[in-house]
Amino acid sequence: MAAYLLRRGIYTLLSLWVIVSAVFFMLRLAPGGPFDSERALPPEVEANLMAAYNLDAPLYVQYGRFLGDLTRGDFGPSFTQKDFSVAELIGAGLPTSLALGIGALSLALSVGLALGTFCGRRTGSFADGILMSITNVSLALPPIITGPILILVFAVTLSWLPSGGSGSAGHLLLPVIALALPYIAAIARLIRGAVAEAAREQFIVTAYAKGIGRQRILWHHIMPTAAIPLVSFLGPAAAGLLTGSVVVEQIFDLPGIGRYFVQAALNRDYTLVMGVAVIYAMAILFFNLLVDLAYGVLDPRIRFDR
Amino acid sequence: MALRIGTLFCIACICAFNSVAWAERTTAPSHIRIATAGEPQTLDPHRYNLRLEETLLNDLFMGLTTFGAAGDIVPGAAARWHTSDDGLVWTFELRKDLYWSDGVPLNANDFVFSLQRLLDPATAASLAYFMYMIDNAAAVNRGAQPTTALGVRAIDEHTLELRLEKPYPYLLERLLYPTAFPVPAHVIREHGSAWTKAEHWVSNGAYTLDEWRPQSHVRMQANSRFITPPRISQITYLPLANEQNAYNRYRNKEVDVIGAFPATELDAVRRTYSADLRLSNLLSMAYLVFNLQVPALADIRVRQALSLAVDQRVLTDQVMRSGAAPAFSFAPAMIDDYDSAELPHKEIPYADRLSQAKALLAAAGYTQQNPLRVTLRHMSTLENKKINLAISGMWRQIGVRTQLQQADVRTHFSALRQGDFDVAWAAWVGENNAEHYLSLLQSDIGNVNYGRFADPHYDDLMREVSLTADASQRNARLQRAEQHVVQRYPVIPLYTMAVRRLVSPHLQGWQENPRDMHQSRYLSWPESAR
Repeated sequence: MAAYLLRRGIYTLLSLWVIVSAVFFMLRLAPGGPFDSERALPPEVEANLMAAYNLDAPLYVQYGRFLGDLTRGDFGPSFTQKDFSVAELIGAGLPTSLALGIGALSLALSVGLALGTFCGRRTGSFADGILMSITNVSLALPPIITGPILILVFAVTLSWLPSGGSGSAGHLLLPVIALALPYIAAIARLIRGAVAEAAREQFIVTAYAKGIGRQRILWHHIMPTAAIPLVSFLGPAAAGLLTGSVVVEQIFDLPGIGRYFVQAALNRDYTLVMGVAVIYAMAILFFNLLVDLAYGVLDPRIRFDR
Repeated sequence: MALRIGTLFCIACICAFNSVAWAERTTAPSHIRIATAGEPQTLDPHRYNLRLEETLLNDLFMGLTTFGAAGDIVPGAAARWHTSDDGLVWTFELRKDLYWSDGVPLNANDFVFSLQRLLDPATAASLAYFMYMIDNAAAVNRGAQPTTALGVRAIDEHTLELRLEKPYPYLLERLLYPTAFPVPAHVIREHGSAWTKAEHWVSNGAYTLDEWRPQSHVRMQANSRFITPPRISQITYLPLANEQNAYNRYRNKEVDVIGAFPATELDAVRRTYSADLRLSNLLSMAYLVFNLQVPALADIRVRQALSLAVDQRVLTDQVMRSGAAPAFSFAPAMIDDYDSAELPHKEIPYADRLSQAKALLAAAGYTQQNPLRVTLRHMSTLENKKINLAISGMWRQIGVRTQLQQADVRTHFSALRQGDFDVAWAAWVGENNAEHYLSLLQSDIGNVNYGRFADPHYDDLMREVSLTADASQRNARLQRAEQHVVQRYPVIPLYTMAVRRLVSPHLQGWQENPRDMHQSRYLSWPESAR
């Protein structure tokens, strides 16, 4: 197990290095620089700016400095948000992004699990048909569609909830729903299938024959089996929630790091893009590691020491 | 069980929502919420670069001159001033009741420190060149001279003297920009670049910084030491870059003022929010620029033909329909005390213009078999696409094959500066003087003369202008220069941009103005709203 973790740790660091290097060079290749705006700058002013942000050094020197700073956890100053360091900006935005992501994941899991088990135990029934048709539709509706509809209905028309911004739980409700909807549908369908299939297994039939209670069979025998496909789904889903939050934060004006990502890329704010990219990459790699470890817990056939 | 978890979660969400007051919904009577076009990048007046930052900085600081409620130039920290006969020495007498928000008196030395800081290369101020008219400013900013060589000194505590390199009659207007605002030397010396943090904040304007949550809001509180305490005690600026989001939040009463709503909603707004709608023209110029280094466009007949075929009125009234006004001169028609030189073909019927244009193209060697091919560069915003698509359609009528090329704002202006285009859309938001626009066509102005237009006679005329101290004489010379250049067709003026604001009809003191500048200290809510 320890050897496995060490190996995975090394792979994760390597992946991280490849990702940040790719982002670093892609950004420098993009046309336009952080100080290109409508107002053109005299050469002496531009030289002052380039020197202040170390952009006057050769590219390999900049890259070396960047990697050095990164290992110390220093992302440097933001090029465009001049009054904040990248670390301060991420510190300010991360709680909002986490609240959004965790909220959406919890909603997707709880509603998805409930719907999935409900339908899985009644496959072919009328309720199952209706609910699965609804999930089919919501699977096809990304937040970029549902977000504006939710705003139009619940904020602009009914005036029940704020249409954007942050500051209260009410501000998070619509974004969480918009982000969670496709995942509720996906999880519900996954669990429904797994529950229905597990219920037909020999050992479940045996359990029923032994007179074990329905709830006990569901939670102790069916769910652990049904959870394996769910866990496989959750790795990419967590990554999808993160990247999906970039869109949702834009639609709902939420001050999370996803919003910085878009703004910073458009502004060629090299350090801020790098900072957010590193956070995203770390989160995705971490979730994948978590999923792989969870397999071992759920399925005794999987071993890490080979 | 699983069902119960889901139900519990939903109930928890609803309870959380109900228990936490939807804070933004109800405002205190002396609080105002204003949407800005985006997130400010800094609140350091010397490092600012965006128009939206000018709005915030005008609430936080006061320069020697400042804006009146109608956007006019009024005395600020300076009570009065006078100029030497040659226009080179400006002496400002400061008010005697000036204090920083921490109670420290503010005097002429603060202005000396501030201008030196602006031009110090270490500050890396991107708009330092706004004050290059001061003696030695460019040399100081280049690092060739020490900051003490700058032509600024405090004669005594209440008298400031600025020495200029060349006469500059528009100085009072230029002093309105944050680049000339005073910054607190005593705080900067103590906290360095962290002086802009809310906990260290000290300024001399009507408001002080209370809290800045990036991408969420900037909150300001009234400064009790300001010369006249403002009636609105708290301002929240919300960065709403997306016009649709801003419009939604205004309709949901989450903000009191927004800077723009989608142009496509203009008709709906006229019906439902006629009392809130504030349309005005911004001192600005949107234009097409020709790259003179492209051989086809170096031919004046081609430029004239392309200019003849563009119908500005169709663009503003039928394509954009956003309230923008058509423009026929490079210096905006709304500039005070100035008669802009208009395109000679302005009053010719469009059909005649098209036949003239075709004849010019034929004379230049372009026929149906050998049509003129140009690329037209523009920004990738919806409105910009529509405009440039319409222009390519207009050119099609005279047989020109146009290829459209779009990019985001940074890439676009970077390409323009590098001369990587044939014809390009550009815009300039400027001052209330023609020189600010016409200087863009000088051959020695640098890469902001995107098309590399170079006309020795025009350069001579503009040099004459720059040596003239008297404002009315200077304007007359500018007019002569513009009359000459308009016939060389370096650009096609298109329109002056429109500001489409929604302002709560209860708010008092809001006045439209050509700079779209509104200091919050002039605003108030009526007694009945309390």
